[in-house]
Amino acid sequence: MSSTAQERSDRLSTLPFQTSSSSDESAIGGFWASIRELLAHRELLDLLIRRELKARYKDSSLGFLWSLIKPLTLLLIYYVAIGQFLGAARGIPDFAIFVFAGLTIWGLYSEIVSAGTMSIVSNAGLIKKVYLPREIFPLAATGSALFNFAVQMSVLILATIVLGQFPVSWNLLYVPVAIAIVLIYGIAFAILLSALNVYLRDIQYLVEVAMLLLFWASPIVYAWSYVVNAVDVPSWLPNVFLLNPISNAVLAFQKGMWQAGSETRLIDGVSILPQPWPADLDLRLAIVAVVGLVLLIICQRVFQKLQGNFAQEI
Amino acid sequence: MSSLFNLPEIKNPPVVIRASDVSKRFVIRKDKSLKERIVNFGRSRRHKEDFWALRDIKLEIKAGSSIGLVGANGSGKSTLLKVIGGIIQPNDGVVERRGRLAALLELGAGFHPDLTGRENVFLNGSILGLTQKQTAEYFDSIVEFSEIGDFIDTQVKFYSSGMYVRLAFAIAVHVDPDILLVDEVLSVGDEPFQDKCMAKIREFQAEGRTIVFVSHSAAQVEDLCNRVIVLSHGQIIFDGATDEGIVALRESFGK
Repeated sequence: MSSTAQERSDRLSTLPFQTSSSSDESAIGGFWASIRELLAHRELLDLLIRRELKARYKDSSLGFLWSLIKPLTLLLIYYVAIGQFLGAARGIPDFAIFVFAGLTIWGLYSEIVSAGTMSIVSNAGLIKKVYLPREIFPLAATGSALFNFAVQMSVLILATIVLGQFPVSWNLLYVPVAIAIVLIYGIAFAILLSALNVYLRDIQYLVEVAMLLLFWASPIVYAWSYVVNAVDVPSWLPNVFLLNPISNAVLAFQKGMWQAGSETRLIDGVSILPQPWPADLDLRLAIVAVVGLVLLIICQRVFQKLQGNFAQEI
Repeated sequence: MSSLFNLPEIKNPPVVIRASDVSKRFVIRKDKSLKERIVNFGRSRRHKEDFWALRDIKLEIKAGSSIGLVGANGSGKSTLLKVIGGIIQPNDGVVERRGRLAALLELGAGFHPDLTGRENVFLNGSILGLTQKQTAEYFDSIVEFSEIGDFIDTQVKFYSSGMYVRLAFAIAVHVDPDILLVDEVLSVGDEPFQDKCMAKIREFQAEGRTIVFVSHSAAQVEDLCNRVIVLSHGQIIFDGATDEGIVALRESFGK
């Protein structure tokens, strides 16, 4: 037995020291060190995502169907109330596809941000007792949001095929770009807000309100043409509108998935012109993506700075 | 002396944990809501209180030793353990370590009540640093150690508290750490299971693993440790042999 002990001791004496904890934050490692640590824990990330998905509908008989029922109900509400009663469908061809495309990409963003914000506080038990790279919790929330998005996305694609509106064009390339932008901003805010929420629980309520506001500030249930053509709107307003990165992502996603938006269609004898997509959408998307990446790095740094005190503040 | 504690003889044991001048300050805020913070803005000093949980801790722990970390309530034992484990960052100083570390600060910390025992074994194993493959390898042995039997495929929310901690402990002892941090978790389960845990800890000691215990039980510390560190108000007031350490601990209660 003592030989096992001696072997262990000899092996340990050859290992270099690593920092367990330090008052000097730079000793913990920078952005890339954090990424490396996360990569080393990717198996755990995978398990946490599964845990979240499995546990969510564990004892319900409809299970995963629930993650579809909510967006489909929203679609129904907007289709009937805004499309038919308020008459938006008369100006927007294939209104159902239009709304569902917007709801799908928006759902991804809002779920990442709201579930991400809660992720550190709701895993308090683990954070107090075990050392793990803490970014793993907002990322697990992102993973489960992505799963729900994938389910909705397949319904959307299926619907476009059934209705004969599957967009076969180069515009389809906007779809992955839109998803990437939503992921960048979603993760950046999820990381930042999850850390702030530990210190100030008001954040989670603020996020709820902000998401509601942002939903109506993005062209999801109304088309971009309505913003551009609205009477009495000062000409600078659409530009302010486009400062919101998520609006750009939503527009790109619609341009990709909603074929009718790029064609001239006839509704009740009235011809509807194609959407006045922002002329420099490609450039805007590139800028939005670069700004988002910088934001992501900043948010991760802030998170890193705040996470040292998580265990005692939760 | 070593034979008494079942600790193996090790030639030139290397230092595995090194703490240099570690201090940890907690700020106790008395106003938590936004209204209170705004109202008290500028005068906030009065509504804050500094509390040193650890003060200038210097510590070296050598491989293969078993350390008892004792002290009165609030003396900083658990904080020190968390700083060593990297769960809390100190305000001053550095803690370095080498080798694989496992912290048993709370059994079943990562258990999800809605998942089955089997799913939780894999999740908790991963949290403690095992790969999926390793967990699958140890799985039968974990279930056997925990004596859970057929309940392994039941959701853990239906477990009795004894079953819960038994399963958690069984996972933890299969992690194969070089350094094990233990915080008051050894008094779990019924007596036969406690004996089993103790036997496992002794096996760990014989294999030359370094163990740091936090305990309130002087008998347990006497039984398991070859070195005792007594903390009082965040400072080390005694560091040495077990029997003298127990005496120093008793004295510190008076202060």
